[in-house]
Amino acid sequence: MEYLNQNIERLHHSSSALIRAVKESSGGVLAVVPSREGSPSVMHQGQWVHSAYDPKKEARSWAEQQVKKWKTGELGVVLGVGLLYHVEALAFVKPHDSRLAVVVPDVAVFKDALGARALGAWLNTVQWIIGTPEEMAEQLASQSAPLRFFTYGPAARLHAEAHQRLETDLRRLVASKAGGQLHVAVVGPIYGGSLPIARYVVSALNELGHRVSWLDHSAHHTSYEAFGSFREDRHRLTVQSRFADVLSLSTIAHIAEDPPDLVLAIAQAPLTLAVLQHLRKKKFPTAMWFVENYRHLTYWQQLAGGYDYWFVIQQSECIEALKRAGAAHVHYLPMAADPSVHHPLVLTSAEQQEYGADVSFVGAGYANRRTLLPQWLSPEWTFKLWGNEWDGVSDLSRVLQRNGARIDTETCMKVFNATAVNLNPHSSSGMGLDPYPDFVNPRTFELAACGAFQLVDERTLLTDLFTSEEVVRFRQAEEVPRLIRTWLKESPDRRASAEASRRRVLRDHTYRHRLQELLAVVGMRQPDRIGSILRGDRSTTVLKERAATMPELIPLLSKFPPGQRVELKDLAEDIRTRAPGRQLAREELLVLMLDCYRAEKRDLV
Amino acid sequence: MPRALVIQLARLGDLVQSLPAITQLRVRHPETQLDLLCPSHLAEVGRLLPGIEKVLEWDGAAWQRRAMAAQQDLRAEHLVEVETMLMALAPDRYDCAYVLNQHRRALVAGSLLAREVKGPLLHGPLGETLTPWAAYVRDVAQRRLGQRVHLADAFCGLCGVSPPGHITLLDPPAVRLPEDLEPIGKHGDPWIALIVGAGETERCVPTEVWRRWITSFLASMPQGRVVLVGTEGERAAEIQSLLPSSALGRIWDTTGRTSLSQLAAILVRCHQVVGSDTGPLHLAAALGRPVIGWYFARARVHETGPYGTNHWVWQAEQGDVDERGVLAPCQWPVDETISLLSHQVPTSTENWSLWASHRDELGAYYVEVGHEAIAPLQRTKIWQELQPSPV
Repeated sequence: MEYLNQNIERLHHSSSALIRAVKESSGGVLAVVPSREGSPSVMHQGQWVHSAYDPKKEARSWAEQQVKKWKTGELGVVLGVGLLYHVEALAFVKPHDSRLAVVVPDVAVFKDALGARALGAWLNTVQWIIGTPEEMAEQLASQSAPLRFFTYGPAARLHAEAHQRLETDLRRLVASKAGGQLHVAVVGPIYGGSLPIARYVVSALNELGHRVSWLDHSAHHTSYEAFGSFREDRHRLTVQSRFADVLSLSTIAHIAEDPPDLVLAIAQAPLTLAVLQHLRKKKFPTAMWFVENYRHLTYWQQLAGGYDYWFVIQQSECIEALKRAGAAHVHYLPMAADPSVHHPLVLTSAEQQEYGADVSFVGAGYANRRTLLPQWLSPEWTFKLWGNEWDGVSDLSRVLQRNGARIDTETCMKVFNATAVNLNPHSSSGMGLDPYPDFVNPRTFELAACGAFQLVDERTLLTDLFTSEEVVRFRQAEEVPRLIRTWLKESPDRRASAEASRRRVLRDHTYRHRLQELLAVVGMRQPDRIGSILRGDRSTTVLKERAATMPELIPLLSKFPPGQRVELKDLAEDIRTRAPGRQLAREELLVLMLDCYRAEKRDLV
Repeated sequence: MPRALVIQLARLGDLVQSLPAITQLRVRHPETQLDLLCPSHLAEVGRLLPGIEKVLEWDGAAWQRRAMAAQQDLRAEHLVEVETMLMALAPDRYDCAYVLNQHRRALVAGSLLAREVKGPLLHGPLGETLTPWAAYVRDVAQRRLGQRVHLADAFCGLCGVSPPGHITLLDPPAVRLPEDLEPIGKHGDPWIALIVGAGETERCVPTEVWRRWITSFLASMPQGRVVLVGTEGERAAEIQSLLPSSALGRIWDTTGRTSLSQLAAILVRCHQVVGSDTGPLHLAAALGRPVIGWYFARARVHETGPYGTNHWVWQAEQGDVDERGVLAPCQWPVDETISLLSHQVPTSTENWSLWASHRDELGAYYVEVGHEAIAPLQRTKIWQELQPSPV
């Protein structure tokens, strides 16, 4: 009680709300146990939160590791409260001009810490973040300094869920505020389902105002296919693999010629582990949006450690598997739609006739669909099947359109719009519905964005994305005929559901939303680099504000429009453009000299 | 007192090849304080150059670090830092800078450190127009022209002075060698310094070729000694690994353990120096040691032959040429070089031409053995065209 009162007294500069909350809290969450060296340590649910031997020494060691990443001017944010040994150690080694904040999801734990031992004057230098995860995210997002997170695992474990919610909310807030212009190199696949997604990603990044270098490897598809004509598999695989190596090298050459802030690969992008390691050595951050079912395509196992950031469309098991394979940062990022491509259409009567039906399905003939779809044919409704790889399914031959030709996006949108009930069974290599129904496919979002009604097989991750009013789902194949019958009859309700799903997509599920979130994740992990650009710290406006130490820089910056991102190379280029016929100022020469050395650094290829 | 700064930010070979220009600037402007700006790691050699009062050390690595920081996050502070760094280097601007490289950073350094810049460009550090001498040097390199004026003399032209009337040599540095290297140059004859490596891999003579050369040399000259010099200790070890036991006690490995001054002191103790076109080869020539250069890959006697007299250059004429124009010889003038050490000039060698160095009042030049020298009038004409006013 004595420690508690003393420590509360030390907090007199902190907010009265914090002090009041501490006084009102009952505490008693942590079980304080003496350590071997005598200072109090703590256990929670049978696990040590601090060292059982020497909590202070352990905290110092932890802080020394963390402080290496901490840049001057950043606000260090600690996740994990415990008995605050680690916070104390960090407060003593923090960079000059940097502040420290601690997230306190549960004031009761904080009260236990205050009551366990005497805390020094450092207590008053820390900003204590309390409230609901949403409130704490708001407080952190309102900080002007870049945030650098430090997680003290054993203590953070107690509030994992709150931290998760805090991070999600903070990411959303950061994403909504982001205004700076990044240069992102998007590396696309040679072919396949992720190719259109790469295009949507490029389009979204452009819409968000970023500069995009689109490394479109689909231009090499014909050659890749040609190499597939060898009779022996080992010949084909060797040549195609070497070809992918060449494309990987060409990616490096592109990056060397126009260095981006971030290399964003979309699933199936031909980037080898060696090239990814090379990019890391040269300090290019890399991210992969793996828009695939990790259970079907398993090449992530070889590449896990190569990318700095993984974004996946599945949760828990997938994330754990990637981490086990060596991925440092893995985040859930579901699929989305592009409203400029996926939108309602006004069809002519001829188009309605050609593409329309009571029930349709557009997609490839995966094994499970070959057995499911015949069950859903009925004389009660017209049925059209679009897409390829349906050879040998005689039951479906009479409903298969265009002899099973591959359907382009434009046709696909017409079918979605012209169909009363679009079926959307997720693919699986089994015989029935997907036995691991977690990820939500792009078609779900695309149908919704078109304002088209769909019946989709239930997914564990669907609830967070759409309500059952927005997207109607089924759990058993047998339910489908009944659902078709019901929804064909209930035309106004069908339209209402479809419109609601479109509203939801426009509100939450466009590629623009996804890319904002992806960049926010990377920005929060790299507050001094990507984060700084996203905050607009590289804009002429901010640079001019900061140019007090060398006001001669201001006229150079004034050559650029307000708000435009300006880098060293841009300044140098502008000086070179304006150089003929005049004497260069000293600050211009300094910029040119620095740029000479900058230009030498990326010997990538 | 007027102050001038010679800027040479290239490599060791270029720095020692700047000696004639520095000599003539000293003669031409006796009242001017002449300082040198060179890379930090070459400052030791810069201090050996006669006529230089003060050596300013250019810390390229520090500039690189600051450039990276500015690239990451442009801030006014980065400019303040480099300005502070420059002020510490040279608090007062020089009256004139003589820039001897065409690299942009040397030109910008000239504009930062001096009021007037003489060098390869006519209109400031971003100008496109080369001065006549810079255009000449570029043409020799790009169009693979035969040599008329030596690069070191062209440096004189860049500075607006004529070549020196005599060869100026570097004074051997007064420096202590490690005790075990002290015997070098004593008890034996001849002592040959062999440069085992090169800054660029393509200019490295294969280790098995050096091993063959050493074996032949030691067999043909019973009192001969070989001193392995350079920084490439691993190559030296590889060369020695398969040498016959008779070589024991006749090979002195100094690689990777000497400063530049110590290297100079060792080169001076040797009778001759053999190696590819490298900084140590030019350093040896500047110290007055006769050298025998093996020029291949992209090295050409017309561009970078060692300055002075009594030097020989074997120029590779045939071999495997890659897409970058790098020539890899298929055979090497091993025995022919040993003959040269005995003052026997070989008549011919397959795939290599042999060039001998000369000098006259227009500077140094090379003549192919068995061929006529370039008519002096041709060289005079070049000087008259490129530098019409007498200097």
